[in-house]
Amino acid sequence: MITPLPPGIQLEKVDDRIMTLNVGPQHPGSGHMRLIIKVDGDYIVSCDPDPGYVHRGEEKMAEYRNYIQNIPHLERPVIHDSCNILYPYCLAVEDLLGLEVPERAKYIRVIASELNRCVYTLYWLAIYGIFLGHSTMFMWPVGDREFCIDLLEAMSGARVTHAYFVPGGVRNDLPANFEERCLRQIDYFEKRLKQYEDIFYQNPVLKQRTEGTGVLSRMDAIRLGTTGSVLRSAGVDFDVRKKEPYDVYDNLDFQTQVLKEGDSYARSRVPYLDMLESCRIIKDALKKMPKSGSVRTKLKPNPKGGNDEVYRRVESGRGSLGMYVVSDGKPEPYRVKISVGSFRNLICMPYLLKGEKLGNMPAVYWSLNYWPVEADR
Amino acid sequence: MTSAGGIIRALNSGVKHLAVKRFTLRYPEEKLKFVGDGFQFDPQTGVGIAGLKGRHILFHDKCTGCQLCAIACEGIAEAISMVKVNETWKHNKKAIMPQIDYGKCVFCGLCVDACPFYALYMTNDYELSSFSKEALIYTPAQLAVNPKVDQDVEIKIDKRGATHG
Repeated sequence: MITPLPPGIQLEKVDDRIMTLNVGPQHPGSGHMRLIIKVDGDYIVSCDPDPGYVHRGEEKMAEYRNYIQNIPHLERPVIHDSCNILYPYCLAVEDLLGLEVPERAKYIRVIASELNRCVYTLYWLAIYGIFLGHSTMFMWPVGDREFCIDLLEAMSGARVTHAYFVPGGVRNDLPANFEERCLRQIDYFEKRLKQYEDIFYQNPVLKQRTEGTGVLSRMDAIRLGTTGSVLRSAGVDFDVRKKEPYDVYDNLDFQTQVLKEGDSYARSRVPYLDMLESCRIIKDALKKMPKSGSVRTKLKPNPKGGNDEVYRRVESGRGSLGMYVVSDGKPEPYRVKISVGSFRNLICMPYLLKGEKLGNMPAVYWSLNYWPVEADR
Repeated sequence: MTSAGGIIRALNSGVKHLAVKRFTLRYPEEKLKFVGDGFQFDPQTGVGIAGLKGRHILFHDKCTGCQLCAIACEGIAEAISMVKVNETWKHNKKAIMPQIDYGKCVFCGLCVDACPFYALYMTNDYELSSFSKEALIYTPAQLAVNPKVDQDVEIKIDKRGATHG
């Protein structure tokens, strides 16, 4: 029996040429997110992303925990990039509590953050590869991730979800012989990364698939408020590490990676070039790091901030990642707002996919460097 | 022509990989070596000592039953509860010690940071799976045992590539 519709509700008018497809939220092609795609034959007429499937209320949870207890759960949205998501929180809380960070801790943070960027980018690259049907590009990055994970495990004691950064520095000093071990593994890792050129990036099959699909112009990238690799692949030279250097990034020698094309190929290449740049940053930081010294400012057991508010942002694997922390003099923050790159880049989807073939959807969607869990927070 | 060259280069890159040693870690037979004896914390300097954040170890002769570890865990995982023990210590009048539920623990190690008496550390033991939820709850007596681990495999890099072993 068909139940009659309640008054006031109108069903969408069905056009027999247009078909609506729900990609997700449990479809592996979309991650934990639904894409409502309308197709005319093989061509996409419109695309409406519908995030929120894995919303966990991280911001609300942060209001009921003190500044230290917030550390383990705030890194949950991106467990592969957990140092980078804790970074702005620690910077903001340091400003609130008026903490001074030791010089050695700043360098250790930079090294951990860059290693984490590599871990995240390789994981994303593996998924990008497998959705384009390139299963070698799934195996290689997942294997090479192990070098960075091994180093992070030696530093922090956990493979993912390190809980390594705290307001006032890092939780423990580097283990013995870390510098030598890090240099050896990063050298080899860099050599491995260069082999990706031939098999993936210069591969004509990938180029035909991704070049010229989902083109985002420079003006559109700025107008839509995109960030990170999406913005840099469209020809805008913006990197928080260069424009608003935090900790010791202004002492380090590196360049931002900018491409002009703005298509899926350029969007997938910028994070790869960033990884090569990360290797340079890590080597440079290891050279310039003070060889000994304190790594953590001693905190009171239940630190309280004044009546103040702070916004700090860093460059994560997915673009600028900001945390806005408001304190009202209690041990718990009054409000923690997380502004993530994934969510800001998602707005491109309806513009990029209009007029593309349905088969190109994964090539465009995954090139956005989108992480559904982080976007939902 | 260029695309034919590109495909040959890509195939060549894959074929070269056949001569590279296998990188995979054969897990149950081989186990990764970690730095140190697990994550520890020195309350005097306020800085930890690097090591794996695995299963905890509790020193009964140092624990005073102050509950600071349970309070630290309250907002994180609620894994630690204080239970009565049948022991008499001069420094632990209430005779309570932490009991940890590894079904809830997230291995962040903030309980170790909270302990001011050098009583709670972490160890290199990470193989805690069990067939029942009850077996995941470790009593103070179980936590006092130093785990036996044989972890000796490291990443080795030579001319033919990287391997474990």
